[in-house]
Amino acid sequence: MHSNKKKTIAVIFGGRSAEHDVSIITAHIPIIQSLLVAGRFDVVPIYIAKDGSWYSDDAMKDIQCFKQVDLEERVRRGKKLHLVFDNGLKVIRPGFSSKTISIDVVFPSMHGTFGEDGSLMGLLRMANVPFVGCDLFASAVAMDKTLTKQVIAAEGIPVVPYVWFTKHEWERSKSEWIQKIKKLHRPLFVKPVHLGSSIAITKVKDETALEHAVEVALHYDDKVLVEESVENLIEVTLPIMGNEELRLAAIERPLNKTEFFDFNEKYVSGGKKTGGVNNAYSEIPANIDPGLAREVKDLGEKVYRTLGCSGIARIDFLIDSAKRKVFVNEVNTLPGSLYHHNWKTVGVSNIELVSTLIELAEERFESAKKLSRIFNSDILSKAGGGKFSN
Amino acid sequence: MITNVISRYHPRYIRSLVYMLQASEYKISDYFAWIRRTKDFRLVEKRKKLTYSSKALFLIGVGWVLWLTIIAAGVGVSISISSMYGYLLGATIILVAPFLLVYGIAALLFGVQLFQKPVEFIIINRAKKMLSSHKALKIAVAGSFGKTSMREILKTVLSEGKKVSAPPYNHNTLLGISAFIRMLKGDEEVLVFEFGEYYQGDIQTLCELVDPDIGIITGVNEAHLQKFKTLEHTARTIFELADFLREKYVYVNGESEFARKNAYSEHCIYTRNGIGKWKVENAHTDLSGTSFTLTKGDEKLLLKSSLLGFHQIGPLVVATVIAKNAGLSAEQIQIGIAKTKPFNHRLELKTDSAGVIMLDDSYNGNPDGVRAVVAFLSSLNGRRFYVTPGLVEMGAQTEVVHREIGRKLAEAGIEKVVLIKNSVTAYIEEGLKDNQYHGEIIWFDDALSALKALPHMTAKGDIVLLQNDWSDQYA
Repeated sequence: MHSNKKKTIAVIFGGRSAEHDVSIITAHIPIIQSLLVAGRFDVVPIYIAKDGSWYSDDAMKDIQCFKQVDLEERVRRGKKLHLVFDNGLKVIRPGFSSKTISIDVVFPSMHGTFGEDGSLMGLLRMANVPFVGCDLFASAVAMDKTLTKQVIAAEGIPVVPYVWFTKHEWERSKSEWIQKIKKLHRPLFVKPVHLGSSIAITKVKDETALEHAVEVALHYDDKVLVEESVENLIEVTLPIMGNEELRLAAIERPLNKTEFFDFNEKYVSGGKKTGGVNNAYSEIPANIDPGLAREVKDLGEKVYRTLGCSGIARIDFLIDSAKRKVFVNEVNTLPGSLYHHNWKTVGVSNIELVSTLIELAEERFESAKKLSRIFNSDILSKAGGGKFSN
Repeated sequence: MITNVISRYHPRYIRSLVYMLQASEYKISDYFAWIRRTKDFRLVEKRKKLTYSSKALFLIGVGWVLWLTIIAAGVGVSISISSMYGYLLGATIILVAPFLLVYGIAALLFGVQLFQKPVEFIIINRAKKMLSSHKALKIAVAGSFGKTSMREILKTVLSEGKKVSAPPYNHNTLLGISAFIRMLKGDEEVLVFEFGEYYQGDIQTLCELVDPDIGIITGVNEAHLQKFKTLEHTARTIFELADFLREKYVYVNGESEFARKNAYSEHCIYTRNGIGKWKVENAHTDLSGTSFTLTKGDEKLLLKSSLLGFHQIGPLVVATVIAKNAGLSAEQIQIGIAKTKPFNHRLELKTDSAGVIMLDDSYNGNPDGVRAVVAFLSSLNGRRFYVTPGLVEMGAQTEVVHREIGRKLAEAGIEKVVLIKNSVTAYIEEGLKDNQYHGEIIWFDDALSALKALPHMTAKGDIVLLQNDWSDQYA
């Protein structure tokens, strides 16, 4: 497609995260591929290697580039990207033909730590550049499953009973924590609180398995959540898009082959056909009672607003179908592959999805610009005059 | 220019030349026209690949021998003369070598054909003899468009009461049909032949081979106009079938203006309204298919087909009438019509996992077909994408035909028109603008890029129509 003025979009992916590879998939399918075919954007792919170094090369627009076995070594041979904060973001590709590129909008495609957890958003706020998706605060809270529960429960949103502890607390008084956990109804789920994509989540039915599951979770995180499982469970998820005006995708139900929707099912088993997120194991829209569906949508909007989400997020729910009770499970501020397969079912094409997210980023940026960040005072003139001392 | 010259020295050059000959169906004029248009000889195999037939392998092998001989001659001349004059002569030989090769391979083909022609003559005559003693009812289908669909409809409907056979794929030439005849068992009751027309006299020659009992002329339009130059020449060639059959049954598509104009008074004219005393009533079409009632006096047939669009009714009516005359019962005809469905890439309906409806009409590349399909698309609800590289071989009518397509698309209110950049699609854009088109025009450099982009552009409920596909020699 062709149009006149193209915007430059930097898509940032990879990173120091257990979800590094998932992030590469999301960046390409659908983000980069859709931006390229839309014809209205120049795409600057920015890859953060597992060691945290930043690189950029046009070859990285193609996902095939990341399928090479010696990827990390090849990348390390390249020149590292330089960033310039100059009332906006500029990136410099160093080398013989050094190139400085002004970025109009950043499209973060970082799952997990140092990206989805708000770290990247903080950097981009400092750079004063519009960026897609949730801002720092929502990202940081949603990244911590325990914190999310605490915040939304304070607003009266139902969550399942849980216990949480840090690595230090577990090691210091394991037996006390086991006693506390015993008060929860089994089976239980043991989760590292900061990880997404169902990595290191274990379902446990007895104490031996519990201790092992906690060790696994602590291998990836220093904070662990143990929560009750829901009986007569229906798991559903709801992607939402928007800043003030919200647009809901279809309620989706993962149809589990194993005991729950794990990493492989999400990204590996169906990845070849569906481009990242498995929809062969999903039911869209979820065939649930209309009353429950309404409650899921209402709770979804409430959670989205409570956490201050913007751009896009996905809310996961657990439903006790017998008791007709809906619990909010967790919030994902960067749904894998943006859940584009789901958006398509409600009439949103990939191009419309990424374009709308860019518009929302710009809208939020413009709105934030209207806030005053300057407060004039004579406080400095008085400093050192004896009135202020520590 | 530089790429053009350098690519002629690429090891792939000989293979490319042979592929261009093969894809041009060994027609020398098409081969030379393609060579004149080619900018990079390394990249001619885009949509298809060379088929390693014995003819292709022979041409590649001898082509290489020829190439090495010319290069050796260039080097030899330089060494043996060993002077400035000698070096210049040697360099000139090497410089013109790839151009000589173009003609060398064409000359080789000529040689192959000299050998082939007598063999083909024997094959065709044997087939003719075999078929003349065959008792089956022979139906011949000729026309600028709609032949394959007509053949498939007849085959499907008549098969409900008769043993029917027809050449597969697009085997519609003397050799293709002869090869099919050799495979016949002798117990067939109906044979349906599609007659391809490439040059004047082609249909007459095919008639002499098959000696048909019934003829169907599906239409006359601008398809292959580049070869026929005028529509009158096209009509005259297609109506060679009517001339051959004389008093026998000839059905002519009345919806094709040029076919109707050339029809004789004794011909049976068929349209979506019926044929003779058979009248079509209560016609309905949507994505589930096409239904109508066919009545003649007290006789009434309720027919439902999976074929899409009102333009399918005429051919379905012809098949019904032929089936009735062949002795099939009303029930057999109804079952047969119900079994008719879109043939490969001819308004074939596919729905992908995301719920996007794809209407694959990529084998339909004629103006009448386009008009019919746009009319069908305009009747559908949803966001509609019309994807096309335009039509080929429209000759002097190229601009007129494509502007008309643009106007029709604007008139139908198609939301998105996806055009492939080439020599004809700008006319479609002009036609769209002529009729104050309000939708979006989306351009792609080539068809593959468009096909790759479509999944990103569409969502559930969208309808995407793929109209025509240009093979390598046109792209």
